[in-house]
Amino acid sequence: MHLDPFELHRPASVGEAVELTRKFGPACDLLAGGTDLLPNYKMHLNVKRHLVALGDVAELRTHSLERIGAMTRLGELERDTAFRATYPGLAEAIGEVATPLVRASATVGGNLLVETRCFFFNQSYFWRDSLGYCLKADGDRCHVVPQKERCYATFSGDLAPALGVLNASIEIAGPTGLRTVNVLDLYDAAGDGIRRHHLAEGEIVTAILLPDSARRVRSTYRKLRIRPTFDFPELGIAASLDLDGSRVRALAIAAGGLETYPKRFDEFTAPLVGAPLTAEAITAIADQIMRSVRPVYNTFLAPDYRKRMVAVYVRRALEHLSGVRAEAAG
Amino acid sequence: MERGPAGSIRVNGQSYDRPFPPERILLDLLREDFNLTGTKRGCDLGTCGCCTVWIDGVPTLSCLTLAALAEGHTITTVEGLSSPSELHAVQRAFVERGATQCGFCTPGFIMTAAALLRDQPHPSREEITKAISGNLCRCTGYSKIIEAIEVAAAGTG
Repeated sequence: MHLDPFELHRPASVGEAVELTRKFGPACDLLAGGTDLLPNYKMHLNVKRHLVALGDVAELRTHSLERIGAMTRLGELERDTAFRATYPGLAEAIGEVATPLVRASATVGGNLLVETRCFFFNQSYFWRDSLGYCLKADGDRCHVVPQKERCYATFSGDLAPALGVLNASIEIAGPTGLRTVNVLDLYDAAGDGIRRHHLAEGEIVTAILLPDSARRVRSTYRKLRIRPTFDFPELGIAASLDLDGSRVRALAIAAGGLETYPKRFDEFTAPLVGAPLTAEAITAIADQIMRSVRPVYNTFLAPDYRKRMVAVYVRRALEHLSGVRAEAAG
Repeated sequence: MERGPAGSIRVNGQSYDRPFPPERILLDLLREDFNLTGTKRGCDLGTCGCCTVWIDGVPTLSCLTLAALAEGHTITTVEGLSSPSELHAVQRAFVERGATQCGFCTPGFIMTAAALLRDQPHPSREEITKAISGNLCRCTGYSKIIEAIEVAAAGTG
Protein backbone atom coordinates (compact mmCIF):
# COMPACT_ATOMS: atom_id res chain seq x y z
CA MET A 1 0.00 0.00 0.00
CA HIS A 2 1.36 3.37 -0.99
CA LEU A 3 0.70 6.68 0.67
CA ASP A 4 -0.90 9.61 -1.09
CA PRO A 5 1.58 12.47 -1.63
CA PHE A 6 2.02 14.95 1.21
CA GLU A 7 4.51 17.57 2.26
CA LEU A 8 6.67 16.58 5.20
CA HIS A 9 7.75 19.21 7.71
CA ARG A 10 10.39 18.52 10.34
CA PRO A 11 10.46 21.20 13.03
CA ALA A 12 13.43 21.22 15.39
CA SER A 13 11.68 22.93 18.32
CA VAL A 14 8.28 23.10 19.98
CA GLY A 15 7.97 26.70 18.79
CA GLU A 16 8.48 25.70 15.16
CA ALA A 17 6.04 22.80 15.54
CA VAL A 18 3.38 25.10 16.97
CA GLU A 19 3.91 27.62 14.18
CA LEU A 20 3.59 24.94 11.46
CA THR A 21 0.50 23.44 13.11
CA ARG A 22 -1.10 26.87 13.36
CA LYS A 23 -0.16 27.77 9.79
CA PHE A 24 -1.63 24.65 8.18
CA GLY A 25 -4.52 24.15 10.63
CA PRO A 26 -6.93 21.43 9.51
CA ALA A 27 -4.76 20.70 6.45
CA CYS A 28 -2.10 19.05 8.60
CA ASP A 29 -1.61 16.12 10.93
CA LEU A 30 1.07 15.67 13.55
CA LEU A 31 3.25 12.60 13.02
CA ALA A 32 4.58 11.05 16.24
CA GLY A 33 5.44 7.32 16.08
CA GLY A 34 3.29 6.82 13.00
CA THR A 35 1.93 3.45 14.12
CA ASP A 36 -1.66 4.69 14.10
CA LEU A 37 -1.56 7.52 11.57
CA LEU A 38 0.30 5.74 8.77
CA PRO A 39 -2.00 2.66 8.70
CA ASN A 40 -4.93 5.08 8.49
CA TYR A 41 -3.21 6.99 5.70
CA LYS A 42 -2.61 3.71 3.87
CA MET A 43 -6.37 3.10 4.08
CA HIS A 44 -6.91 6.64 2.72
CA LEU A 45 -8.64 7.72 5.92
CA ASN A 46 -8.72 11.50 6.30
CA VAL A 47 -5.35 12.07 4.62
CA LYS A 48 -3.96 15.60 4.99
CA ARG A 49 -1.69 17.52 2.63
CA HIS A 50 0.87 18.37 5.31
CA LEU A 51 2.54 16.16 7.91
CA VAL A 52 4.43 17.77 10.78
CA ALA A 53 6.87 15.14 12.08
CA LEU A 54 7.86 15.71 15.70
CA GLY A 55 10.77 13.25 15.90
CA ASP A 56 13.46 15.93 15.61
CA VAL A 57 12.15 17.98 18.55
CA ALA A 58 14.65 16.86 21.21
CA GLU A 59 12.80 18.52 24.10
CA LEU A 60 9.80 16.24 23.51
CA ARG A 61 11.88 13.09 23.85
CA THR A 62 13.16 13.23 27.42
CA HIS A 63 11.46 11.69 30.42
CA SER A 64 11.78 11.56 34.21
CA LEU A 65 9.53 10.16 36.92
CA GLU A 66 7.69 13.49 37.09
CA ARG A 67 7.54 14.49 33.43
CA ILE A 68 7.26 12.37 30.29
CA GLY A 69 7.95 14.12 27.00
CA ALA A 70 5.16 13.46 24.52
CA MET A 71 7.53 11.88 21.99
CA THR A 72 8.93 9.37 24.48
CA ARG A 73 8.67 5.92 22.89
CA LEU A 74 6.61 3.38 24.81
CA GLY A 75 9.48 0.91 24.47
CA GLU A 76 11.81 3.33 26.28
CA LEU A 77 9.46 3.53 29.27
CA GLU A 78 9.08 -0.25 29.22
CA ARG A 79 12.84 -0.69 29.62
CA ASP A 80 13.07 1.89 32.44
CA THR A 81 13.05 -0.25 35.61
CA ALA A 82 12.64 2.73 37.98
CA PHE A 83 9.64 3.93 35.98
CA ARG A 84 8.05 0.47 36.02
CA ALA A 85 8.53 0.12 39.77
CA THR A 86 7.11 3.59 40.48
CA TYR A 87 4.01 3.36 38.29
CA PRO A 88 3.04 -0.33 38.04
CA GLY A 89 -0.44 0.36 36.65
CA LEU A 90 0.89 2.68 33.99
CA ALA A 91 3.62 0.17 33.14
CA GLU A 92 0.96 -2.53 32.74
CA ALA A 93 -0.98 -0.29 30.36
CA ILE A 94 2.16 0.47 28.32
CA GLY A 95 3.01 -3.24 28.12
CA GLU A 96 -0.51 -3.96 26.85
CA VAL A 97 -0.25 -1.58 23.88
CA ALA A 98 -0.10 -3.48 20.59
CA THR A 99 3.22 -5.37 20.25
CA PRO A 100 6.89 -4.78 21.17
CA LEU A 101 7.55 -3.83 17.55
CA VAL A 102 4.81 -1.21 17.60
CA ARG A 103 5.98 0.05 21.00
CA ALA A 104 9.48 0.59 19.57
CA SER A 105 8.03 3.46 17.52
CA ALA A 106 4.77 4.39 19.28
CA THR A 107 4.86 7.38 21.62
CA VAL A 108 3.09 8.46 24.79
CA GLY A 109 1.56 11.50 23.10
CA GLY A 110 0.49 9.41 20.12
CA ASN A 111 -1.31 6.93 22.35
CA LEU A 112 -3.18 9.73 24.10
CA LEU A 113 -4.34 11.07 20.75
CA VAL A 114 -4.83 7.73 19.00
CA GLU A 115 -7.66 7.85 16.47
CA THR A 116 -10.97 6.43 17.65
CA ARG A 117 -11.87 3.12 16.04
CA CYS A 118 -14.92 1.52 14.44
CA PHE A 119 -15.80 -1.40 12.14
CA PHE A 120 -17.08 1.03 9.56
CA PHE A 121 -14.09 3.39 9.73
CA ASN A 122 -11.01 1.14 9.99
CA GLN A 123 -11.50 -0.41 6.57
CA SER A 124 -9.93 -0.06 3.15
CA TYR A 125 -11.14 2.57 0.72
CA PHE A 126 -12.74 -0.12 -1.45
CA TRP A 127 -14.58 -1.64 1.49
CA ARG A 128 -15.91 1.72 2.56
CA ASP A 129 -16.75 2.66 -1.02
CA SER A 130 -18.88 -0.46 -1.44
CA LEU A 131 -20.98 0.20 1.67
CA GLY A 132 -21.11 3.97 1.55
CA TYR A 133 -18.81 6.15 3.58
CA CYS A 134 -19.37 7.07 7.22
CA LEU A 135 -19.66 10.27 9.20
CA LYS A 136 -16.04 10.01 10.36
CA ALA A 137 -14.54 9.77 6.86
CA ASP A 138 -15.90 10.89 3.50
CA GLY A 139 -19.58 10.34 4.35
CA ASP A 140 -22.49 11.92 6.19
CA ARG A 141 -24.09 9.10 8.19
CA CYS A 142 -23.15 6.77 11.03
CA HIS A 143 -23.68 3.07 10.29
CA VAL A 144 -23.48 2.03 13.96
CA VAL A 145 -26.21 4.28 15.33
CA PRO A 146 -27.98 5.36 12.14
CA GLN A 147 -28.20 9.16 12.15
CA LYS A 148 -26.16 12.05 10.82
CA GLU A 149 -25.15 13.99 13.91
CA ARG A 150 -22.71 11.98 16.02
CA CYS A 151 -19.88 9.51 15.49
CA TYR A 152 -19.68 6.57 17.91
CA ALA A 153 -16.15 5.34 17.11
CA THR A 154 -14.52 3.98 20.26
CA PHE A 155 -11.64 5.55 22.15
CA SER A 156 -8.92 2.90 21.94
CA GLY A 157 -5.89 4.24 23.81
CA ASP A 158 -4.56 2.29 26.79
CA LEU A 159 -2.61 5.06 28.50
CA ALA A 160 -5.33 7.65 29.09
CA PRO A 161 -7.31 5.62 31.66
CA ALA A 162 -4.08 4.58 33.41
CA LEU A 163 -2.91 8.20 33.57
CA GLY A 164 -6.40 9.38 34.51
CA VAL A 165 -6.50 7.37 37.74
CA LEU A 166 -3.09 8.82 38.68
CA ASN A 167 -4.42 12.38 38.28
CA ALA A 168 -1.82 13.08 35.62
CA SER A 169 -1.85 16.36 33.72
CA ILE A 170 -1.07 17.19 30.13
CA GLU A 171 1.17 20.07 29.18
CA ILE A 172 0.03 21.75 25.98
CA ALA A 173 2.02 24.28 23.94
CA GLY A 174 0.22 26.70 21.66
CA PRO A 175 0.48 30.06 19.96
CA THR A 176 -0.26 31.82 23.28
CA GLY A 177 2.13 29.76 25.40
CA LEU A 178 1.85 26.76 27.69
CA ARG A 179 -1.20 25.49 29.51
CA THR A 180 -1.88 22.44 31.65
CA VAL A 181 -5.05 20.36 31.92
CA ASN A 182 -6.02 17.17 33.69
CA VAL A 183 -5.40 14.32 31.27
CA LEU A 184 -9.05 13.33 30.94
CA ASP A 185 -10.08 16.94 30.33
CA LEU A 186 -8.12 16.69 27.08
CA TYR A 187 -11.02 14.74 25.60
CA ASP A 188 -14.26 16.12 24.25
CA ALA A 189 -17.04 14.12 25.87
CA ALA A 190 -19.87 16.31 24.65
CA GLY A 191 -18.87 16.85 21.04
CA ASP A 192 -19.73 15.11 17.79
CA GLY A 193 -17.37 12.19 18.49
CA ILE A 194 -15.23 13.05 15.48
CA ARG A 195 -13.27 15.91 16.98
CA ARG A 196 -12.02 13.94 19.96
CA HIS A 197 -10.03 16.46 21.99
CA HIS A 198 -10.03 20.05 23.17
CA LEU A 199 -6.80 21.13 21.45
CA ALA A 200 -7.12 24.50 19.76
CA GLU A 201 -5.59 25.23 16.38
CA GLY A 202 -1.80 25.31 16.72
CA GLU A 203 -1.75 23.47 20.04
CA ILE A 204 0.32 20.34 20.57
CA VAL A 205 0.67 18.03 23.56
CA THR A 206 4.24 18.39 24.84
CA ALA A 207 4.38 16.33 28.05
CA ILE A 208 2.59 14.28 30.68
CA LEU A 209 3.05 15.50 34.25
CA LEU A 210 2.72 13.03 37.13
CA PRO A 211 1.93 14.44 40.59
CA ASP A 212 3.52 13.27 43.87
CA SER A 213 0.31 11.43 44.75
CA ALA A 214 0.80 9.16 41.71
CA ARG A 215 3.86 7.71 43.42
CA ARG A 216 1.94 6.87 46.63
CA VAL A 217 -1.10 5.03 45.32
CA ARG A 218 -1.32 1.44 44.12
CA SER A 219 -2.56 1.14 40.56
CA THR A 220 -3.37 -1.46 37.92
CA TYR A 221 -4.67 -1.75 34.35
CA ARG A 222 -6.71 -4.63 32.93
CA LYS A 223 -7.36 -4.96 29.19
CA LEU A 224 -9.99 -7.06 27.44
CA ARG A 225 -9.10 -8.15 23.91
CA ILE A 226 -9.37 -11.26 21.76
CA ARG A 227 -5.67 -11.91 21.15
CA PRO A 228 -3.18 -11.29 23.95
CA THR A 229 -1.13 -9.21 21.53
CA PHE A 230 -1.63 -6.37 19.07
CA ASP A 231 -5.39 -5.89 19.57
CA PHE A 232 -6.83 -2.56 20.60
CA PRO A 233 -8.85 -2.62 23.83
CA GLU A 234 -12.38 -3.96 23.73
CA LEU A 235 -12.34 -2.62 27.27
CA GLY A 236 -9.57 -1.15 29.40
CA ILE A 237 -10.05 -0.68 33.13
CA ALA A 238 -7.56 1.32 35.20
CA ALA A 239 -7.79 1.69 38.97
CA SER A 240 -5.77 3.37 41.69
CA LEU A 241 -6.18 2.87 45.41
CA ASP A 242 -4.71 4.43 48.54
CA LEU A 243 -5.74 2.65 51.74
CA ASP A 244 -5.45 3.87 55.33
CA GLY A 245 -5.59 0.52 57.05
CA SER A 246 -8.73 -1.00 55.57
CA ARG A 247 -10.32 2.40 54.88
CA VAL A 248 -10.19 4.13 51.50
CA ARG A 249 -8.10 7.29 51.45
CA ALA A 250 -8.38 7.65 47.66
CA LEU A 251 -9.92 5.51 44.91
CA ALA A 252 -10.20 6.16 41.19
CA ILE A 253 -11.47 3.97 38.36
CA ALA A 254 -11.35 4.87 34.66
CA ALA A 255 -12.20 3.05 31.44
CA GLY A 256 -11.32 3.13 27.78
CA GLY A 257 -12.70 1.08 24.91
CA LEU A 258 -16.33 1.84 25.75
CA GLU A 259 -17.21 5.28 24.45
CA THR A 260 -15.71 7.96 22.23
CA TYR A 261 -13.56 9.22 25.11
CA PRO A 262 -11.91 7.73 28.23
CA LYS A 263 -13.90 8.37 31.39
CA ARG A 264 -13.55 8.24 35.15
CA PHE A 265 -16.28 7.06 37.49
CA ASP A 266 -15.85 9.49 40.39
CA GLU A 267 -19.59 9.57 41.07
CA PHE A 268 -19.36 5.93 42.18
CA THR A 269 -15.94 5.98 43.88
CA ALA A 270 -16.30 9.23 45.88
CA PRO A 271 -18.84 7.83 48.42
CA LEU A 272 -16.31 5.16 49.38
CA VAL A 273 -13.68 7.60 50.65
CA GLY A 274 -13.31 7.09 54.40
CA ALA A 275 -15.18 3.79 54.31
CA PRO A 276 -13.70 0.30 54.43
CA LEU A 277 -13.24 -1.42 51.06
CA THR A 278 -15.22 -4.56 51.72
CA ALA A 279 -16.16 -7.37 49.36
CA GLU A 280 -19.71 -5.98 49.27
CA ALA A 281 -18.43 -2.51 48.41
CA ILE A 282 -16.32 -3.88 45.55
CA THR A 283 -19.24 -5.87 44.17
CA ALA A 284 -21.55 -2.87 44.42
CA ILE A 285 -19.21 -0.44 42.69
CA ALA A 286 -18.43 -2.94 39.91
CA ASP A 287 -22.17 -3.31 39.34
CA GLN A 288 -22.81 0.44 39.38
CA ILE A 289 -20.10 1.14 36.84
CA MET A 290 -21.30 -1.68 34.60
CA ARG A 291 -24.85 -0.31 34.61
CA SER A 292 -23.66 3.19 33.72
CA VAL A 293 -21.86 2.34 30.46
CA ARG A 294 -23.36 1.91 27.00
CA PRO A 295 -20.94 0.37 24.51
CA VAL A 296 -22.20 0.12 20.94
CA TYR A 297 -21.61 -2.60 18.36
CA ASN A 298 -18.57 -1.21 16.55
CA THR A 299 -15.75 -3.44 17.81
CA PHE A 300 -15.18 -7.20 17.62
CA LEU A 301 -16.93 -8.25 20.83
CA ALA A 302 -20.65 -7.76 21.33
CA PRO A 303 -21.59 -4.72 23.41
CA ASP A 304 -23.57 -6.75 25.94
CA TYR A 305 -20.50 -8.90 26.62
CA ARG A 306 -18.23 -5.86 26.93
CA LYS A 307 -20.70 -4.28 29.34
CA ARG A 308 -20.81 -7.41 31.52
CA MET A 309 -17.05 -7.63 31.49
CA VAL A 310 -16.85 -4.11 32.94
CA ALA A 311 -18.10 -5.52 36.25
CA VAL A 312 -15.66 -8.43 36.10
CA TYR A 313 -12.66 -6.26 35.27
CA VAL A 314 -13.46 -3.61 37.88
CA ARG A 315 -13.86 -6.32 40.49
CA ARG A 316 -10.60 -8.00 39.52
CA ALA A 317 -8.72 -4.70 39.55
CA LEU A 318 -9.99 -3.78 43.02
CA GLU A 319 -9.36 -7.27 44.36
CA HIS A 320 -5.80 -7.05 43.08
CA LEU A 321 -5.20 -3.65 44.66
CA SER A 322 -6.89 -4.33 48.00
CA GLY A 323 -6.31 -8.03 48.59
CA VAL A 324 -10.03 -8.33 49.37
CA ARG A 325 -11.84 -11.19 47.66
CA ALA A 326 -15.28 -10.19 46.35
CA GLU A 327 -18.26 -11.96 44.86
CA ALA A 328 -18.75 -11.81 41.09
CA ALA A 329 -21.17 -9.05 40.18
CA GLY A 330 -23.80 -9.03 37.46
CA MET B 1 9.26 21.67 2.12
CA GLU B 2 11.25 19.79 -0.50
CA ARG B 3 9.85 16.72 -2.24
CA GLY B 4 13.03 14.74 -2.97
CA PRO B 5 15.72 14.25 -3.80
CA ALA B 6 16.35 13.30 -0.22
CA GLY B 7 19.78 12.70 1.25
CA SER B 8 21.49 9.39 1.62
CA ILE B 9 20.27 6.42 3.58
CA ARG B 10 22.65 3.92 5.18
CA VAL B 11 21.65 0.26 4.95
CA ASN B 12 23.81 -2.71 5.98
CA GLY B 13 26.90 -0.50 6.12
CA GLN B 14 26.39 0.91 2.64
CA SER B 15 25.18 4.39 1.72
CA TYR B 16 22.48 4.68 -0.90
CA ASP B 17 21.91 7.98 -2.66
CA ARG B 18 18.58 7.81 -4.37
CA PRO B 19 15.90 10.49 -4.64
CA PHE B 20 12.60 9.57 -3.03
CA PRO B 21 9.48 11.50 -2.13
CA PRO B 22 8.48 12.17 1.51
CA GLU B 23 5.63 9.68 1.38
CA ARG B 24 8.01 6.82 0.47
CA ILE B 25 7.78 4.06 3.07
CA LEU B 26 11.07 2.49 4.20
CA LEU B 27 9.85 -1.03 3.34
CA ASP B 28 9.09 0.01 -0.24
CA LEU B 29 12.44 1.76 -0.57
CA LEU B 30 14.33 -1.31 0.65
CA ARG B 31 12.48 -3.79 -1.53
CA GLU B 32 11.72 -1.83 -4.68
CA ASP B 33 14.57 0.66 -4.94
CA PHE B 34 17.44 -1.20 -3.26
CA ASN B 35 16.31 -4.75 -4.18
CA LEU B 36 16.72 -5.88 -0.56
CA THR B 37 13.79 -8.28 -0.77
CA GLY B 38 14.68 -10.28 2.33
CA THR B 39 12.47 -7.86 4.24
CA LYS B 40 8.91 -9.01 3.53
CA ARG B 41 5.68 -7.15 3.02
CA GLY B 42 2.99 -8.96 5.02
CA CYS B 43 0.02 -7.02 6.32
CA ASP B 44 1.61 -3.65 5.49
CA LEU B 45 -0.20 -2.22 8.53
CA GLY B 46 2.12 -3.07 11.44
CA THR B 47 0.33 -6.19 12.61
CA CYS B 48 2.50 -9.07 11.38
CA GLY B 49 6.17 -8.12 11.88
CA CYS B 50 7.31 -9.58 8.52
CA CYS B 51 8.92 -6.25 7.62
CA THR B 52 11.07 -5.99 10.77
CA VAL B 53 14.44 -4.29 10.31
CA TRP B 54 16.77 -2.72 12.83
CA ILE B 55 16.96 1.04 13.03
CA ASP B 56 19.97 1.92 15.16
CA GLY B 57 19.82 -1.66 16.43
CA VAL B 58 16.15 -1.50 17.51
CA PRO B 59 13.73 -3.92 15.79
CA THR B 60 11.29 -1.65 13.96
CA LEU B 61 8.39 -2.04 11.54
CA SER B 62 9.69 -0.78 8.20
CA CYS B 63 6.13 -0.72 6.80
CA LEU B 64 5.24 2.04 9.26
CA THR B 65 8.43 4.08 8.89
CA LEU B 66 8.80 6.97 6.47
CA ALA B 67 12.10 6.52 4.62
CA ALA B 68 12.78 10.24 4.99
CA LEU B 69 12.75 9.88 8.77
CA ALA B 70 15.26 7.01 8.60
CA GLU B 71 17.90 9.29 7.07
CA GLY B 72 20.85 9.69 9.38
CA HIS B 73 20.07 6.42 11.13
CA THR B 74 21.71 3.02 10.71
CA ILE B 75 19.45 0.43 9.10
CA THR B 76 20.14 -3.29 9.19
CA THR B 77 18.08 -5.76 7.18
CA VAL B 78 18.24 -9.56 7.27
CA GLU B 79 20.76 -9.39 4.41
CA GLY B 80 23.12 -7.44 6.66
CA LEU B 81 22.80 -9.56 9.77
CA SER B 82 25.69 -11.85 8.88
CA SER B 83 28.23 -12.29 6.11
CA PRO B 84 27.18 -14.06 2.90
CA SER B 85 29.40 -17.00 3.83
CA GLU B 86 28.24 -17.54 7.38
CA LEU B 87 24.79 -17.61 8.94
CA HIS B 88 23.94 -15.77 12.15
CA ALA B 89 23.50 -18.14 15.13
CA VAL B 90 19.74 -17.53 15.07
CA GLN B 91 19.55 -18.32 11.36
CA ARG B 92 21.57 -21.51 11.91
CA ALA B 93 19.26 -22.59 14.73
CA PHE B 94 16.15 -21.90 12.58
CA VAL B 95 17.59 -24.16 9.86
CA GLU B 96 18.61 -26.91 12.25
CA ARG B 97 15.36 -26.92 14.19
CA GLY B 98 13.11 -26.67 11.14
CA ALA B 99 11.62 -23.42 12.45
CA THR B 100 10.60 -22.43 8.95
CA GLN B 101 7.73 -23.72 6.87
CA CYS B 102 6.65 -21.34 4.11
CA GLY B 103 9.39 -18.99 5.29
CA PHE B 104 7.60 -15.72 4.63
CA CYS B 105 7.68 -14.58 8.24
CA THR B 106 11.19 -15.91 8.91
CA PRO B 107 13.26 -12.76 8.22
CA GLY B 108 11.10 -10.80 10.65
CA PHE B 109 11.46 -13.44 13.35
CA ILE B 110 15.22 -13.62 12.74
CA MET B 111 15.63 -9.85 13.17
CA THR B 112 13.51 -9.79 16.34
CA ALA B 113 15.23 -12.84 17.86
CA ALA B 114 18.75 -11.70 17.00
CA ALA B 115 18.13 -8.37 18.75
CA LEU B 116 16.68 -10.18 21.77
CA LEU B 117 19.73 -12.42 22.15
CA ARG B 118 22.11 -9.49 21.60
CA ASP B 119 20.47 -7.57 24.48
CA GLN B 120 19.55 -10.54 26.64
CA PRO B 121 21.75 -13.56 25.86
CA HIS B 122 19.83 -16.03 28.04
CA PRO B 123 16.11 -15.19 27.93
CA SER B 124 13.47 -17.34 29.57
CA ARG B 125 10.78 -18.99 27.44
CA GLU B 126 8.33 -16.35 28.64
CA GLU B 127 10.71 -13.57 27.63
CA ILE B 128 11.14 -15.14 24.19
CA THR B 129 7.39 -15.45 23.73
CA LYS B 130 6.88 -11.84 24.71
CA ALA B 131 9.69 -10.62 22.44
CA ILE B 132 8.23 -12.34 19.36
CA SER B 133 4.63 -11.39 20.15
CA GLY B 134 4.68 -8.85 17.32
CA ASN B 135 5.71 -11.41 14.72
CA LEU B 136 2.97 -13.62 13.26
CA CYS B 137 3.54 -17.08 11.76
CA ARG B 138 0.64 -18.88 10.07
CA CYS B 139 2.43 -22.22 9.61
CA THR B 140 4.57 -23.40 12.47
CA GLY B 141 2.47 -22.94 15.58
CA TYR B 142 5.53 -21.16 17.02
CA SER B 143 6.92 -24.16 18.93
CA LYS B 144 9.85 -24.72 16.57
CA ILE B 145 10.57 -21.00 16.42
CA ILE B 146 10.76 -20.73 20.20
CA GLU B 147 12.92 -23.88 20.35
CA ALA B 148 15.27 -22.47 17.72
CA ILE B 149 15.71 -19.24 19.69
CA GLU B 150 16.43 -21.29 22.81
CA VAL B 151 18.99 -23.34 20.89
CA ALA B 152 20.65 -20.19 19.57
CA ALA B 153 20.74 -18.75 23.11
CA ALA B 154 22.27 -21.94 24.49
CA GLY B 155 24.88 -21.93 21.74
CA THR B 156 24.16 -25.59 21.08
CA GLY B 157 23.06 -25.19 17.48
